[in-house]
This record gives sequence, structure tokens and C-alpha cells, in this order.
Amino acid sequence: MIVLLGILLAGSIFLAVMVGSLGPIGPGDPVKLSFNDAMDALMGGSSYAWVFWDVRIPRVLMAALVGAGLACAGTAMQAIFRNSMADPFVIGVSSGAALGAATAGVIGAGVIMGAYASPIFAFGSALAAVTVVYKLGSVKGKVYVDSLLLSGVAVAAFLGALVSLLIYIARQQYHQLLFWLLGSLALASTDKVLILLAPVLVGAFVVILYGRDLDALLMGEETAHNLGASPEVLKKVILAVAAMMTAAAVAFSGVIGFVGLIVPHITRLVVGSNHRLLVPSATLSGAIFLIWADTLARSIVAPTELPVGIITALCGGPFFLYLLRRNSSERASS
Amino acid sequence: MRLDAKDVSFSYRDSIVLKGVSLSVRPGEFVGVMGPNGSGKTTFLRCLTGYLTPRSGAVKVDGRPVSSFSPKEVAKFFAVVPQISSTDFPFSAYDIVLMGRIPHAGNRLGGYSRKDVAKVRDAMARTNTTQFAGRTFNALSGGERQRVVIARAIAQEPQALLLDEPTIYLDISGQIEIMDLVKDINRKEGITVIAVLHDVNLAARYCDRIVLLSNGAVKAVGPPAEVLTQETIQEVYGVEVAVRRDPMTNSVYVMPRSVSWKARMHGTGVHLLCGGGSGGPLMKALTDAGYSVTAGVLNVLDSDFESAKDLRIPVVVEAPFSQIGPEAHAENLRMVQESSAVVVSPFPVGPGNFRNLEAARHALEQGKRVFVVVPKEFPSIDFVGGRASEFIKGLISSGAVEVKGPEEAVRCLQGPPGD
Repeated sequence: MIVLLGILLAGSIFLAVMVGSLGPIGPGDPVKLSFNDAMDALMGGSSYAWVFWDVRIPRVLMAALVGAGLACAGTAMQAIFRNSMADPFVIGVSSGAALGAATAGVIGAGVIMGAYASPIFAFGSALAAVTVVYKLGSVKGKVYVDSLLLSGVAVAAFLGALVSLLIYIARQQYHQLLFWLLGSLALASTDKVLILLAPVLVGAFVVILYGRDLDALLMGEETAHNLGASPEVLKKVILAVAAMMTAAAVAFSGVIGFVGLIVPHITRLVVGSNHRLLVPSATLSGAIFLIWADTLARSIVAPTELPVGIITALCGGPFFLYLLRRNSSERASS
Repeated sequence: MRLDAKDVSFSYRDSIVLKGVSLSVRPGEFVGVMGPNGSGKTTFLRCLTGYLTPRSGAVKVDGRPVSSFSPKEVAKFFAVVPQISSTDFPFSAYDIVLMGRIPHAGNRLGGYSRKDVAKVRDAMARTNTTQFAGRTFNALSGGERQRVVIARAIAQEPQALLLDEPTIYLDISGQIEIMDLVKDINRKEGITVIAVLHDVNLAARYCDRIVLLSNGAVKAVGPPAEVLTQETIQEVYGVEVAVRRDPMTNSVYVMPRSVSWKARMHGTGVHLLCGGGSGGPLMKALTDAGYSVTAGVLNVLDSDFESAKDLRIPVVVEAPFSQIGPEAHAENLRMVQESSAVVVSPFPVGPGNFRNLEAARHALEQGKRVFVVVPKEFPSIDFVGGRASEFIKGLISSGAVEVKGPEEAVRCLQGPPGD
């Protein structure tokens, strides 16, 4: 299964790189490249090489990393909360990051810090928001997932209001912020890909290491304890890792919704709940899913593009409702 | 493995749940933990496994405190079967049993070994759950799920199996199936069993020893027959019970009575002339209606004698299978004298107990109200060639009231005299 998904991922990266206004797949405007031309360009033997190496490949790899990180964090969150409706943003990451990005825009941090102002602000305030939610959701070092969830909702609502306030104050940056809030991979670069690589790979690796313990946790915290998986340690490690992955992904690409919700869900339907298999499968699937969602986002209304968050939400919303209906009809029939 | 809990105390915030509970469990023992709701049974179990840390006192395994072991080590000593196991996530029964190998799986990077898989197979075969391996855990019935969880516990290779009311959500066949399986594991594999049980009769039947908790303290500990006595159960559960011995298994069993009978006590004395099992329903009906019942003359071992004992009714007794002697008869007449009414049950009359009928006539002569129970379908109770039937007719014509059964007897008693 994992090998299959790996091959699919490699294939997706290759195909997605080929898609675009300068590529063998696409409208062919202004120039239609043949497949051979594209291969030449990839090998660096063409004046179009920069299109591939500086624009499209970073973008596709960025989509893969962001998708992988969000899907992996989503799988982890669903296990921690023992709730398949949880996603990477339930503990306040997205609203924290949004506030950071908006603040950076309003105070004009970009003037001093350049292109990385927004990601740095977003990453920092995302982690700050998670820390607050974590403190609110734990008593004497014990994490209570119910209150964690409620604290996440409350903090997100509060921060959301602050973001709206900032947008209202700084109307001229509204467009830029909106683009960020809807999620976009348009600002991908090789540097950013390299920066994102570390948290996503390390995060996914740690979650996979704790796969067996996550299985046990799904049977309840007491059973997890009785099976030798220390639930308190587990919750802290996984929350920290998932928050780090999510904050890093959101800092560069904005709030891309639903990837972290629907990808773990569909993957679970196919491979089951065994996390040793589920986590890598969901991580790879998340990468594949976001590559195609982004490819669609940049080609559906070419030469302009849609924020990729709109595509994922358009797929995710109806799917979420379908799951909800299915769950409730299962409940009604049992 | 020897388990010693010493002076274990625990409190949640401001409510004290356990007050110095001590218990030593020998290897291979089957111990039941009992007590009313809120007596601290489950909390005690959680203190044993280290899920909760006692506020004071210690739990030791082979002399070493549980708190000094890592969670994985503890999971190799104890496997726990909870009341109910469920998950919203799609695990197969095999996945669930495989979780039992978590404490044995070494390196986090590595997968499960061939040995792990073999242990899981064995455990599923042992619990007869192999056929569920590929099925979704949540789709199994309550009893099947509990067997899968016991398979997981076996796969854990524990030295003690801890169960927290494992049969509470099961029907009667499921209860027996699970308890038989646990007992079998206990006997054959020699795994110690500590089970929180709410059903006194299941506990009496399967446990070597019972610890009875009451308000977080040990009320009694010992073999079921010593712990499950009428007095102890009355004290701990506040309910009146009859305790009997099952003639086939020789284990005790307990039958509860209505809780509210005491409130209705008014103390009007009724003497019951009975025998041969005919008096039991009357004793129950009369005591439930609040009367202070006495009975006589009964032979020891008569089933009415047993009923009277259960209901704590004072009885005039005679030796087993003997004729009513003059002393017993005199005592019987004295009890008639002290009561305000006499009820004659449809008891089988033979030469040995004819004096009970004479006691009824004595009551009429003393001006007592006498009720004679003559059931609609009247079995032959006359083993003295028609003399008993004649005598009863005589009683009725001299003023005794004929009633059909226990309910009518109570109704007539409650009515005004002479009605």
C-alpha cells in the first residue's frame, strides 16, 4: 500500500510539473511545449528551464509537503481526540497563524524582514495560540481532551474576531490577507521547500513511531495505560509534533482547510485504523491530494488562479456532509 | 506473582473514595471485589494497575512497588478487561488482539514479530474468537467483543487478569460464557484473577475469595460462604436477603427481598400454623404486609423452617421427622396466645403434626381470629383418613374464616374483626 502510494506520489509530481501554460499539458498559451521540449527544459537544456526549476517544481513539492504535513497532523489529532471530525486546526493553529500574518501585514513587518516576515509571524503566533489552548485544556500536567477541544474552539473564535478587526482597520491589505486566509501555494520557492522539509519529515516520522500507542489510545486513555502506552506522554508528544507541522505548513501556504480532515478519513476507510499503516498512507495521500488540488487551482481559470483552499473546501465540504449523513444513518440502523 | 495492596487510600478532590484498603492475593487465586455502587471497587482496581496513584499506601508486586515499574512493565503484570470496549474507529478484532502485544513489542521502528503474531493466534484460538479476526470489532455482539478483549488480555501474557464488571452489559448466557472462560484461564494457565463483580451469585459461584468493600473500606474478606451472609449483606447493601446453598454446586446463592418491607412494620402478631412448604408464601405475604409473624410447629429441615429462617421469623421447632411432642405443643399454644390472629396454611396433615390443627381450635376457643387457607384447587393434604378434612370443616363452622390464598388472608386480616 505504502509502496503503491509512493509510486503514485512520484507520478503525480511528474505529471503536475507538466501541467501549466508552459507545458505539454495545458492551454499552450503563449507557447505550447511538446513533451520532449519539457524534458529538455527539465534537463536544463532549454531557455524554459527556469519555469520548471524555479516555479513549478518548488510549487508542486510545496503542495506535497503542505498536504503531507496537514494530513499527518490531522490523522494524529483525530487519534488524540478519538474523534474522526477533528482536524489539525482544532487546537487554534490556524487562527493563531492568521492573527500573526495579519499583524505582520498591518505593522508592515515586511519592510524590515522581507518575504519571511509573514511566515515568521504566522508560525510564532500559531505556536503561541496552541500553547494557550494547551494550558487551558490541561490541569496539573494532565491533558483533558474534552476541555482542550472546547478551549480550541473558544480561542479560535476570539482570535478570529481579532483578525477581522485587523482586516477592517487595514483595508488596503485586505486582498493580500484574504488570499492567505483562503490558502495558496503561489509563493512557493526552493528555499521554502527546504525549510518546510524538516518539520514535515520529522513530524511524520515521530507520529509513525508512536503508531501502536495511538492505536491503543483509540480504545480510551485507561485502556491505553493498561496496554503500556503512557497516554499523558503520548498526548503531549503528538500534540507538540502535530502543532509544529501544522504551524509550519500554515505559515507558508495559509489556511488550507479540509485536507487534514478528509484525507485521514478516506485513507482510514481504505486501510483501516492501524496507525502504523494509516499514518504513512494518509501522509502520502495528503501530498497527492494537495498536488492535484493545487494543479486544478492554477489551471482551472488560467491564466489567473484560484486560492487552493477554495478547491479543497469545495471538495471537502460536500464530502464532510456525506460522512456526517452516513454516520447518522449507521447510527439509526444499528 | 504475589500481589499486596497495603493501606491504599485515594480521594478525588474532596471526596475520599478509598480508606486504607489492604488485600493480599496469592498466585493463581480468583478474587472477587464486591460492594455497593460508589464503594470504591473500580478505584481500587485502578490503584492496582497504577492508572491512579494512591494518596497513601502502596501496591506491591512480588515485593516491589508498582509505582517503580514503567507502564510497559506494569502491562506485563496486569491485563485489564473493562466493563465495555468500543471505539468509533474501524478496527478489526485481530487489530484489537494485536494491541495486547504493545508491551512486548521492542523497538518502536520495528513491526510486530513472528512471535507476536503467534501469540495473537493462540489467544484467539483459546477464546474461540478466530472466526472474528477479520470482522470489524464494533460490529460484534457484546459477548463476542468481551471475548476478543479477553483474547487481547491473554496475548498480553499477564500474570494477573483484572476485570471490571466484565458481564454487566451481557445477558445471562453471555455472563456465564465469560465467567466460565475466565475461570478456565484461571485454572489452566494459573493466571491470578481479580474481578470487580456486581452480581453476588456470580461472585459466589466463581470466586475463591471475596473482598467486600463498603464506603471505601474492607468490610469483609474470605470465602464466599463466609462473606455473603444475611447479616453482612444487610449491613453493606441495606437489603434483606435470604442466603441458601445450591445443592448441586454447593456454592451459596442470595435472594433479595423488597427493600421497603421494614417501613411497613406495624407489629401486629400473627401466628402461622404450617409445614411442608405450604407456609412460605404466607410468611412472605404477611411480613411484607408488616405483620410480626411467628410460626409453628415445624420440623427442622422442613422447607417452611428454611423460609422462616430467611425471614427471621421465630419458630417452634421439633426434631426432624418426629411427632410434635408435648413441649413443642405447649410452646406453640403459648405463641398462639401472644398473637392477635392465627392463620392455618394448607399443610399436609399426618399423625405427627395433627396437633397443629388442635392448636387452631385452641385459638378459636381463646377468641382469636382464625383464618384457614383453602386453595381453589385443593390438593389432598389429608393423610389421616379424612379426619383432617373433617376437623377443618369443624373449624370453619365454629367461626374460622375460609380464605383462598395469601393475598386474601392479608386482606381479611386488614379488615375489621368479625367481617
